[in-house]
Amino acid sequence: MSSDHPVVDEPPVLPQGDSIVAGRPFFSRPVGKIFIIWFLMTAVGVLIGIFAPHHLMPTFLSHEGTDVWRTMVLFTILAAPVAAVVYAVAAYSLIGWRHRGNQDDPPEDGPPLRGNSTVTAVWLATSSVLVLVLLAWGLTVYSAEEVSHPGTLQVDVTGQQWLWTFTYPGTGVETRSLVLPINRPVQFNVTSVDVTHGFWPAALGVQVDANPGVTTVIRATPDKLGNFTVRCSQLCGLYHSFMYAPGSVVTSAGFSRWLRSEGASTTTGQATALVKKQ
Amino acid sequence: MTTDLAPLLLEDTPIGPTAGGLYRRQNVYTGLAAGIFLGFVAWLVAHALWNSSNWGTDMVVTVTMVGWVIGFNLGVGTFNAPLRWMLGHDQTYDDELYAAGVGQGKKRYYKFCTDHKVVGTQYLVLVVVLFAIGGTLAMMMRTQLISPHSSFLSPNSYNAIVSIHGMCMIIATIIMVTGPFTNFVMPIMIGAKDMAFPRLNAMSFWVVVSAIPPLLATFVLGGVDAGWTTYAPLSVQAPPAMDAFSITMIVFVISVTVSGVNTIVTIFTMRAKGMTLGRLPIFTWASLVGAALSIYAMPALLIAFTSMITDRVVGTSFFVAGQGGTGWLWENAFWIFGHPEVYIILIPPVGAMLEVASTFARKPLFGYKVTVAGFVAISALSIMVWAHHMFTTGWAPELAGPFMVTTEIISIPTGIIFLCLIGTLWKGRIWTRLPMYFVYLFLWNFIIGGVTGIYLSDTPADEYFHGDMFVTAHFHYTLLGGAMIAATAGLCYWFPKITGKMLNERIGKTAFWMIAVGIQVTYFGMFWEGFEGMPRRVAFYDPIFQHANDMATGGAYLLMLGWIVLLYAGINSLRQGPDAPANPWHSKTLEWKVPTPVPLANFLVDPVVTSDPYGYGEPEPVGPLVMPAPDPDRELVPNLSSDNPLVRGDD
Repeated sequence: MSSDHPVVDEPPVLPQGDSIVAGRPFFSRPVGKIFIIWFLMTAVGVLIGIFAPHHLMPTFLSHEGTDVWRTMVLFTILAAPVAAVVYAVAAYSLIGWRHRGNQDDPPEDGPPLRGNSTVTAVWLATSSVLVLVLLAWGLTVYSAEEVSHPGTLQVDVTGQQWLWTFTYPGTGVETRSLVLPINRPVQFNVTSVDVTHGFWPAALGVQVDANPGVTTVIRATPDKLGNFTVRCSQLCGLYHSFMYAPGSVVTSAGFSRWLRSEGASTTTGQATALVKKQ
Repeated sequence: MTTDLAPLLLEDTPIGPTAGGLYRRQNVYTGLAAGIFLGFVAWLVAHALWNSSNWGTDMVVTVTMVGWVIGFNLGVGTFNAPLRWMLGHDQTYDDELYAAGVGQGKKRYYKFCTDHKVVGTQYLVLVVVLFAIGGTLAMMMRTQLISPHSSFLSPNSYNAIVSIHGMCMIIATIIMVTGPFTNFVMPIMIGAKDMAFPRLNAMSFWVVVSAIPPLLATFVLGGVDAGWTTYAPLSVQAPPAMDAFSITMIVFVISVTVSGVNTIVTIFTMRAKGMTLGRLPIFTWASLVGAALSIYAMPALLIAFTSMITDRVVGTSFFVAGQGGTGWLWENAFWIFGHPEVYIILIPPVGAMLEVASTFARKPLFGYKVTVAGFVAISALSIMVWAHHMFTTGWAPELAGPFMVTTEIISIPTGIIFLCLIGTLWKGRIWTRLPMYFVYLFLWNFIIGGVTGIYLSDTPADEYFHGDMFVTAHFHYTLLGGAMIAATAGLCYWFPKITGKMLNERIGKTAFWMIAVGIQVTYFGMFWEGFEGMPRRVAFYDPIFQHANDMATGGAYLLMLGWIVLLYAGINSLRQGPDAPANPWHSKTLEWKVPTPVPLANFLVDPVVTSDPYGYGEPEPVGPLVMPAPDPDRELVPNLSSDNPLVRGDD
């Protein structure tokens, strides 16, 4: 094979050759081959979307955490075909359109395609529709998380260099570990006494900064029993790495027992209501 | 006269023996001496005046650093021309020739030199140095993270390294394309003899040089322990390193703003005849958009760090909660700069990468106008998305929705870049030389960076991932895997024009594969850490993250080694590479039509442009350039300064 002539699918005598190519079966044309690559890559992307978040992320113990997981799966599955279009064309360009032979000199010029308004319109329309789907999903989930439920357990969270303090208002309980009852909405009222910290009970799938001087709010509803770690997600100085606290989701009865063992003043009506709820 | 370059080659241009005046005595060493001297004087004065006051150390450090910056720039010659003008006389024509480096050979690279090609080359060296510093710091971090409780670094050193790695890389990536390539290549691309403001051009370089020693001085001033974002109030109470850090940033803002104005004015006023806006090479558009965005974004950073200094030095309380301030103010000001900054970094390399794609696919750029519109749309939207960095700060939860909307909409114009890229590859004749390798690597990486960005733009998902290693992996995929790889494509592409040597592609391709694999291993390791829930910026971690960290650390060593091999390829080629022809890639943009090495004023005759530079596969008469027959009476006068009357008359 002479290295002077680039190897192309079409006979070299026909410079454009589209008429010949168009008569071939779909899967032996470039478009068909790109379609096959696209299909395989999309399949891989969808499989990654289904399995990767499940295997790599911790077991979420709350509705909000499950929402994070669902979002990851959905967005990956939606992104897979789009990314696969780009990857498939790029991969095929290396297989089918690569200049082979002597690389010292440039190949002949390709066809002068300066644009294609139909392709551009389809591209823009597709990406717009996808963005609308993502936004509809994200805004719906977010607004659902913002709703305040009746019977919400209040927990005051205070960050300081380098520890977390959790207070259960009305019970007099103040601890270094976060214990939550299952299936009961909880609202964290988060503040800091020194610099900015990041309150991040990772397994609950929520996070909010602890800022000095103000109280920020985040809500979650634990729905599985288990232990987790509350970490600091905002660089807060020397021992930022060591700013974590143990956390667990327990049964309602277990939560009442725990509150009493921590010395809850069950004499106040509010505390009784707090414990009896659920 | 027709093809004789002699009058324009530096060594042979006759200039008066006293031309240049003070410039003759100045270079980087006089700059260093003057900087150290004035810094020392400033330290003496500040120490005498304020050391016993409440904010003594901070005041002393601030004043010393300001003294250093002013002294260095006085010593290197940044202020010569304006000072002369204030004293009542202007630079002569011979002075301008001297300042442009005439007759100084290699020495001009160590001086305040107004030739845009010298400035571009100086920037290139500076960028490599900054990447070397930032990369070394990154390796130190990854080494610390080899085991959960490594004692390689103390927590304070680790935090200081985290901060300076971040800001060093941000500075390097902001100037990595706008410095070397916008300065060296862009004026030639549009048929100009130099930038519109050559002295400001040289100033933008030497000012940023003077900003680097304060950045490194932070390590001996207690270390910046608040990350590159230096969130208040932690940064307000940080060691005096924070003062030096703030001076670095303020000085850097001056440099980038000056350089941005210069780029914009150059593109609007210095184009050759026939170089309409519709015929601008896409890299020129990218430089223009990036520059315009920096004019918008940089002042926010200036305001932020000025307020930071006053909080620390004179007792204001912009960011101090107990006295009515708030850290959210810092976060807003910082990210109003910080998000456009991502696109200031990204858009110019993408433009460079698209030039490479068109040249090596031997095809016109696909959808030129749509791509330009995409750049403009990205930059317009990018000024409205900053608060997605603040989804989890608790500031204005009611604005999370609107910022989610603007952030996700920005993926539409970003997608146009991919359309343009794959459209250009479509049915191309793909010439797989080294620059094209990096185009494909950009494409691979930037898809991953883009898709993972969409997860983070979704507020509920961000409430899991924010502040963890997933974010770190995401922005390294976009900034290193995307922008820096695109810039590397541009570097390999323009290397023959800038250095006059062909790059050794055999070593270059070895480096490519190490970098390509290194990026995937490193940052997939970090994605894994992020999925598992490892926070960012931690010196010690829970042993459950061990395996993911092993992967990231291993990949990081490979990646760094790859960059070192690429650097070796460059140095090896400079020493023993074959001389480059004027147009090794048979490209159609103007910079390939001028000889290599490029003569002082770039063009022997003013080019007349008749089409855009993407006429691959099109009939020859629509060539991009007609070089008119040289006019024998025309004096070959370099346009050394657009405010030089001699040059003005020539136009």
